[in-house]
Amino acid sequence: MREGHNRREYAAKIGRGAARSRMARWLKYVLLALAVLTAVTPVYWMVTISLKSEVDQFAAPPRWFKFAPTLAHYYDAFYTRAFGQYLLTSVTVAILSTIFALTLGTLAAYGLSRFRLRANLDRRLSMWILSTRMFPPIVTAVPLFLMMRDLRLLNTISSLVIVYTALNLPFVVWMMRGFFRELPRELEEAAMVDGDSRLGALVRVVLPLVTPGLAATAVFCLIVSWNEFLLALVLTQTDASMTLPVGIAGRVTQYEIKWGVMSAAGVVAMIPILVFAMAVQRYLVRGLSLGAVKG
Amino acid sequence: MIQQTSPRRQKGEQSEAPPSRRRDTSLPYLLIAPTIAVLVGLSIYPLIYAVKISLQTGSGEAARWSLANFARLATDSFFLEALAHTFIYAAGALTFEFLLGLGLAVLLDRPLRGRTLFRSALLIPMMLPPVVVGVVWRLMLNPDFGAINGTLRGAGIATDSLTWTASPSLALASVIAVDIWQWTPFMFLVLLAGLQAIPQEPYEAAVIDGSSAWQTFRHVTLPLLKPAILIALLLRTMDLLRVFDQIFILTEGGPGFSTETVSLYIYRTAFRFSDFGYAAAMSFVLLVLTNIVSVGYIRLLQKQETA
Repeated sequence: MREGHNRREYAAKIGRGAARSRMARWLKYVLLALAVLTAVTPVYWMVTISLKSEVDQFAAPPRWFKFAPTLAHYYDAFYTRAFGQYLLTSVTVAILSTIFALTLGTLAAYGLSRFRLRANLDRRLSMWILSTRMFPPIVTAVPLFLMMRDLRLLNTISSLVIVYTALNLPFVVWMMRGFFRELPRELEEAAMVDGDSRLGALVRVVLPLVTPGLAATAVFCLIVSWNEFLLALVLTQTDASMTLPVGIAGRVTQYEIKWGVMSAAGVVAMIPILVFAMAVQRYLVRGLSLGAVKG
Repeated sequence: MIQQTSPRRQKGEQSEAPPSRRRDTSLPYLLIAPTIAVLVGLSIYPLIYAVKISLQTGSGEAARWSLANFARLATDSFFLEALAHTFIYAAGALTFEFLLGLGLAVLLDRPLRGRTLFRSALLIPMMLPPVVVGVVWRLMLNPDFGAINGTLRGAGIATDSLTWTASPSLALASVIAVDIWQWTPFMFLVLLAGLQAIPQEPYEAAVIDGSSAWQTFRHVTLPLLKPAILIALLLRTMDLLRVFDQIFILTEGGPGFSTETVSLYIYRTAFRFSDFGYAAAMSFVLLVLTNIVSVGYIRLLQKQETA
């Protein structure tokens, strides 16, 4: 009898425990759902504005789901206005600066990870390279503007390509240095014993093995160049040379704001980034701790 | 030729193939040189250039060496106010981003149905171009047509005083809130990675000792998470001190001067008033501030590399 009572009490306790853990699980889901909703709703709102006619944009209360979608703003932004050109500039600058930074940075990373230099120079140089990444962009923006003005490179795509290459270099060096270090040296040594030169071994043996890392690094560079705003704002002010972010900012701060055009441009600026980000999720933490994404 | 680190082999090489060894020892320098050249040209030279113009007043032929730009810093009430805004912005955003990010990381640390999906969705704000974040929040916060005030009015709440970025008293808080929205995911991601790198054993020991969940968190999780916490805080602090993009789009430093940070004030000084020397002088203050933080960060990285 006594034992039975105990057992019942025990069962009740377990029941309460299970109920509590079920509650905890529900609470967890509710909190997470709230967080996701907070993260996504504002972005969703911009997407709807880009698809709404003016009547729907300014409707009260706000129309979250029910509206007649239209692509007029996209046509307006990218065909009637110059956003198509800004887009092309952004793509060109991002691709070229990524190629340059990746080429130079990978070679340097290989040099820094595979050779022990005099006076610990390999480590010191690596740290120095990383430290150049830590300058706030506004600090270099002022002298870079004056330098580019002296070189007559203001309002040119080349100025952006040059500056973004330098912006991405430290990051490439550190990412690739990490990937090279993870590879055993024996691989290249075997290739070199077979008569390959050091650079031959790099191209034929090492690079194919770090391709995933190389691709991830490239994607990070593309993101940084694509998102960069301050230097582009300072260096380019003409329709023929400005990037998408500068173009958008110009429209935002004008007296009359075209909500639809601005949102359409925003959506187009956002889509490649989201695709890229999904592609590099695995490397995101490593990339971010070396300053990826933000310039 | 084979491996530079081993002196024994190098000696062997010397007798067998001296020319190739010679080429190989210069190889690393050849590989590194272009990168160094680019960084010297586009990071170091601009800094020297900035030092020079900050120490000059007047321009061209009339330029004179002087410390006037630096003397002006201490008496420029706009600069001091911008500095104060920057600190408030950094402290406010950092606190909330850290607490919220840690909370989310703990929620998603254990296996959970839909975890990958939650994680990916939570990362979206962080990946967006800062300019797009500015656009998104202008649409949300517009006093008349924004989604937030529209929704509040729909719920019967008066929004006349809630003009967010257009209100001198709410503008700074609004731009901080936008920063928290965008960058909490960063804290979350770095801290989650830190949590997942903690081995299982200390937790098992804590269970055997009969510690409560809070005790375990306080005495096992937090100490082991410390390196990840430090990295996340240092990186965020560096970014927060230099904040420019979102504020430029959202308020351009206004209304009045209420959201002007150091970066924005430097931009205005250089590119609106063409006072490049004074802008350069101010940017050194910012550089010193971020350097203090970045030295801490680099020390931490060095420690991890040698460990």
